[in-house]
Amino acid sequence: MTEVSASAARRGLRLRGLAENAALVAAVIAFLAPLVWLYSTAYKPAREIFQIPPALAFTPTLENFRVLLELYDLPSLVSSSLGISLGTTAVALLVGVPGGYALARSRWKHATTLAYALLAIRMMPRVVTLMPFYLMMRDVGLLGTIWAVVLTNATLSAGFVVWMMFSYFRALPPEAEYAAQIDGRTAFGAFLFVAVPLVVPGIVASALFSIMLSWNDFLTPVFLTGVDSKPLSVALLSAYGTKDVSWGTMGALAHFATLPIVLIALVLNRYFIQGLTRGMH
Amino acid sequence: MADAATQPKEAAAAAAASTHARPGLGQRLLGRFFPALFPPGEPLEAQRRLFLIALTAPVITYVLVFAVYPAIVGLSYSLWRYNLLRPHRTAFVGFDNYVKFFSDPAMQAALWNTAVFVVAAVILEFLLGFALALLLWRDRLFSRICLALLLVPVTVTPLATGLIFRALLTADYGPIGYWARILGISGERGFLGTPSTALATIVVMDVWQWTPLMALILLAGLKAIPATTLEAARVDGATALQRLTTIVVPLMVPSILLALLLRMIDASMVFDTIYVTTNGGPNNATNVLMIAAVKEGLEFFNIGTASTIATVMLALVGLMATVFFLLIGRYEKKVAP
Repeated sequence: MTEVSASAARRGLRLRGLAENAALVAAVIAFLAPLVWLYSTAYKPAREIFQIPPALAFTPTLENFRVLLELYDLPSLVSSSLGISLGTTAVALLVGVPGGYALARSRWKHATTLAYALLAIRMMPRVVTLMPFYLMMRDVGLLGTIWAVVLTNATLSAGFVVWMMFSYFRALPPEAEYAAQIDGRTAFGAFLFVAVPLVVPGIVASALFSIMLSWNDFLTPVFLTGVDSKPLSVALLSAYGTKDVSWGTMGALAHFATLPIVLIALVLNRYFIQGLTRGMH
Repeated sequence: MADAATQPKEAAAAAAASTHARPGLGQRLLGRFFPALFPPGEPLEAQRRLFLIALTAPVITYVLVFAVYPAIVGLSYSLWRYNLLRPHRTAFVGFDNYVKFFSDPAMQAALWNTAVFVVAAVILEFLLGFALALLLWRDRLFSRICLALLLVPVTVTPLATGLIFRALLTADYGPIGYWARILGISGERGFLGTPSTALATIVVMDVWQWTPLMALILLAGLKAIPATTLEAARVDGATALQRLTTIVVPLMVPSILLALLLRMIDASMVFDTIYVTTNGGPNNATNVLMIAAVKEGLEFFNIGTASTIATVMLALVGLMATVFFLLIGRYEKKVAP
């Protein structure tokens, strides 16, 4: 290879790298633009949102947030959303982590099948379970509370947590637990104080996934919660505009309904990616 | 799944751990009733097993009570004529609901719409996702930042996705819809208001939201390919395209199939984005099975009909999963006999 063609090849590589980077940046812009537009409506005065023809430039205002606080009981919406997502995740972790551990340590030949079966709960179209669940919750008096949503969503999350923890505990050799038992810990103590601390990344990843699923859930709460217990996702629908409640209010409410999860996913990106990839497999 | 190598060590450790533990009353009783699970001869093994069963019991009980039981009840409603508003007319009708489902033109259309939506959305997501995964493959800070930003749509509630696109595409004053109408690209009533373009628009929304997830799953598959294999091919003079078609794609087949299956299952249950944009319209152009089931069940309280639709959906999902697992199994057998 002559020197000229080598430098030409290098230049070709650099050009390809540049083209790749440009394509990636274009993709990032394309996937973020609709969201940026949604958030930007929150800072536009009403008359500029409905400007004909639509314009991109605007004079920023916080008016929409003031209207939002007037029209919606924001603290109640936020606490419902928090209660649903944290409650679901707490229940799912409480039953799911021990379950995943036991299946991982079991020498029963169907342990993997059982873990798969729990993951497969997600495949059930939710209308099927929602109707009997509705009647069940009506009978025990939980209909119209966030607990109805927590109880049904936690089945999906628990199945997922078992699967995640199953794969994490499988990757963890059991010797440390046996050593702890020799040192006088009970079997449960060895699980709780020796094994669990070693899989905290897995617990964080599955907790994030569970929080995201139930925070974003719409069908279950719209059907099972009442006026006082509806979460942000349900309220967001009512914020879409007839002309008096404009997109500005929707954009402002979307800050509360979507930004928390977006920020958590960006800050704890490593765990979030683990949850998404492992949870899918 | 007995692991022969670790078993003696394990037993010895367990024995050492519980020198002063002797079988309690509960265990002796369990041994009497379930001799297969708790054989009398090995108290330590039985104790260990009891412990593991006790840890699994809560999640199994929980899922049985709050997921499996409602699901069985729900599925069984499909054999009944059952409307919550007319409870006195409830009657067992056998497979009548299914006969009605398959002979109803509206339901046939819903089945067709769902199939078109799933196939179109998943194919587009796969092609775009694979391209993105290839671009993100090289591990460097820039790729990781791009991946983190690309995943943002995945974290947004599908309801918000629907609202964003509905607002953007509004034909009267939406930033995209207005110009599309003026320039004659969309119909007078906008992309979502025209029957011929409505379903395609819903596909675009789904592609926007879920392509990054597809890219992420495929990227995980790409990163599992041994670097030495690719390096060897490069040394042997294979071009980038040759490496892609002869090494990357064949090695990726199992993870590609899995990614396709998972997206197909979720896409076949699409609801939120359609509910807030067209709610099945215009003229039933976007009426998919999930929308039809929710309307029947939660709006008209026709529980029998809704359960029938849902049962058909479940059967389709089960069929897809079976076909894909058979394909994966056959492929893996072919590659490594």
